[in-house]
Amino acid sequence: MRLDPPIADALDKIALMPNRIGGAPPNVYFVLGRPYEVNAYNLSQGKRLYAWFGCKSCHGDGRGGSGPGFLDGWWSYGPEMVSIFASIRDGRPHGMPAFGDKMTTDQIWQLAGYVQTIGSYEGKTAAPSRNDEKQTRPAENRAPAKLLFDEGPTPVHRDQGPTP
Amino acid sequence: MNRPVAAPDTRDIEIERKRLTDALAETWKTPSGIWGALATVDHKIIGRRYIVTAFVFLGLGGVLAALMRIQLAQPEARLLGPDRYNQIFTMHGANMMFLFAVPVMEAVAVYLVPLMVGTRNIAFPRLNAFSYWIYLAGGTLLWTAFALDMGPDVGWFAYVPLSGPQYGAGKRADIWAQMITFTEISALAVAVELVVTIFKQRTPGMTLDRIPVFVWAMLVTSFLVIMAMPAIVLASTSLILDRLVGTHFFNPAEGGDVLLWQHLFWFFGHPEVYIIFLPAAGMVSTMIEPFARRPAFGYLGLVMALIATGILAFGLWVHHMFVAGLPRLGDSFFTASSMAIAIPAGIQVFCWLATLWDGRLVFKTPLLFIIGFIVTFVIGGLTGVMVASVPFDTQVHDTYFVVAHFHYVLIGGAVFPLLAAIHYWFPKLTGRMLNEALGQWSFWLIFVGFNATFFPMHILGLEGMPRRVYTYQPDLPWHGLNLFISLSAVILIAGFLLFFINAFRSARVGEVARDNPWDAPTLEWATTSPPPSYNFPMIPVVGSLHPLWDDRDSLAVANGLRTDRRELVVTTLAAAEPQAREASPRNSIWPLWAAIATTIMLIWSMFSPWAVVWGSVPVAVALMGWFWPKGTPEDES
Repeated sequence: MRLDPPIADALDKIALMPNRIGGAPPNVYFVLGRPYEVNAYNLSQGKRLYAWFGCKSCHGDGRGGSGPGFLDGWWSYGPEMVSIFASIRDGRPHGMPAFGDKMTTDQIWQLAGYVQTIGSYEGKTAAPSRNDEKQTRPAENRAPAKLLFDEGPTPVHRDQGPTP
Repeated sequence: MNRPVAAPDTRDIEIERKRLTDALAETWKTPSGIWGALATVDHKIIGRRYIVTAFVFLGLGGVLAALMRIQLAQPEARLLGPDRYNQIFTMHGANMMFLFAVPVMEAVAVYLVPLMVGTRNIAFPRLNAFSYWIYLAGGTLLWTAFALDMGPDVGWFAYVPLSGPQYGAGKRADIWAQMITFTEISALAVAVELVVTIFKQRTPGMTLDRIPVFVWAMLVTSFLVIMAMPAIVLASTSLILDRLVGTHFFNPAEGGDVLLWQHLFWFFGHPEVYIIFLPAAGMVSTMIEPFARRPAFGYLGLVMALIATGILAFGLWVHHMFVAGLPRLGDSFFTASSMAIAIPAGIQVFCWLATLWDGRLVFKTPLLFIIGFIVTFVIGGLTGVMVASVPFDTQVHDTYFVVAHFHYVLIGGAVFPLLAAIHYWFPKLTGRMLNEALGQWSFWLIFVGFNATFFPMHILGLEGMPRRVYTYQPDLPWHGLNLFISLSAVILIAGFLLFFINAFRSARVGEVARDNPWDAPTLEWATTSPPPSYNFPMIPVVGSLHPLWDDRDSLAVANGLRTDRRELVVTTLAAAEPQAREASPRNSIWPLWAAIATTIMLIWSMFSPWAVVWGSVPVAVALMGWFWPKGTPEDES
């Protein structure tokens, strides 16, 4: 079902930092209860959009290709929803096209939520799982990638540093 | 332990009547208070609880149905979005099938079967208590998840790949699969209890051909449960493994098979339909006698039809999969076997008609529901024969025609007899009669409302309206009928509301019932309404199929049971000759602890496979407590 136009308009008005990395989602996003991060239906729609809009052709199954991968927990523009939303809507330098005129606001948010989930920065019970395909990578509902940045006595990746 | 009223090893024959009932009441009582209520193993208390809980789920499922009808009353309605609508139709189906229809039939049996076979408690009474708690936990899990916007959204049969790891997002399909696990456990527990009760605890003289038809129906149903449930255990466990730990049972790319799910599910799912229908058929065969004032026509035919249906039930699951692309020969075989089910169903219908034809009918509410059942069930059966044919099924598959068909057989075939049964056995359950005028009003509202709601769905289906759509466009020719259906549903809902009001009111202020208000022939009416905790002061001995009609003045009784401990008679399987006195367990709180431990393990296991390892420790502890000797007189045997 299409979003109510005023809500869709409001959801489009994210406040980005001047360097276009990080920022704040519009107030309505919190009023709705962060639906694109915690609602399983939206995440699963995002997973389909990932296939339908050809994200695979550059980002592969999430491990990356000509574009960056999402699986390793490394984010060129940070793991916040607004950054991912802005990347999809407006595009980024070095080849990421803008999808703002190809998808509705609702769909961009759904896809952003799913892309964030691939990184599995935090464990989500609403996350989808592996594909019904040849298995090439761990599923989205695996252990959170936060582990990779834990510098405790025995870090998983010595060189990863404390933040993505 | 309470000090027994009677000295150790006092037999029932050795003391006079008043002291006998006092001693038995002391031995079999459920203490008052919350602890007594949690620890009870009395099949009547647990059965009543089961029935009330199942009707609560019926009411909740009805609310979901009402929401869907409001949404579909007009094209492009915006009450529900696709996500919420998916959750609602899934919840409606899963709730009605797994939390209402199957448990309510078992619940009625838990209450009635021990009374009808003349024993003092169901076999394995603690398992019975455990089964209720597990059922309650499963229902609570499903509805809590729905309230948290985590309700399953994959249809009540949860086909992969939609419910699989790729498309079934979040924990929704896991909630569904684990809810199935809860109902599997409780259903299997009750099935085992019923089989043992019916085979070994029948009162002396109740040979196989003197078993009431309802008890026969529950015996066949219990075997169906025992044989059908393993298939769904396998299926739902594989699904959870696929989703949680990344196995590939249903992933074709890695050597799995998607159709495997449909086969496993329907190998359970079709017998499931008869698990719901056979008890209802048995109820009708039993209830029809006091209202036709004659024995049911064709006892042997009725029982054989039940058994034949039970066997055929396992040979026709593929008719749910006719459009899945199976070999022609398979399609033909399953068309034939599906149509063959009309034979035993027809035998029963003709037996009931013959009974009514020859009887002197007493038009009370239960008989009205029975006649309503025969009418609607025959219509549902006729469309059943239609969809058994592959060319026809291919046209109407996944349309409202199928929705109409299965509501006719499920509501017509199971809910109508169930409502008859509630009106009929209400005095035995509560000691009060349901109000007859309200009962007749609720029958007519439900009967008219039901047919006006569901008959037009046949036409909608033929016009091509698919199932499980959350809305439709205004230019499609469906909105007139949809509006009519939604308005008719108001009548249906009014009928059910009236029934609930009647039940509430009558349970408090209804006319006080006599022991046998319908002048019925079966043993449950030989004791008081409601029965005492020990069911019968002396175990009755029967010499015919209709003991209360044939030995109207005095029923023979067996004696020699101890009064200072819980004891019942065990008889031989076929001839029901007394074999032994067997102890029956006392009240225990451990089934509740075991159920809580099992619930923790099952819910935890949706999130981590390690739950199966660590969660089994509390379960083991609870089971040790359950079986630990408590030093009661029952331990002696």
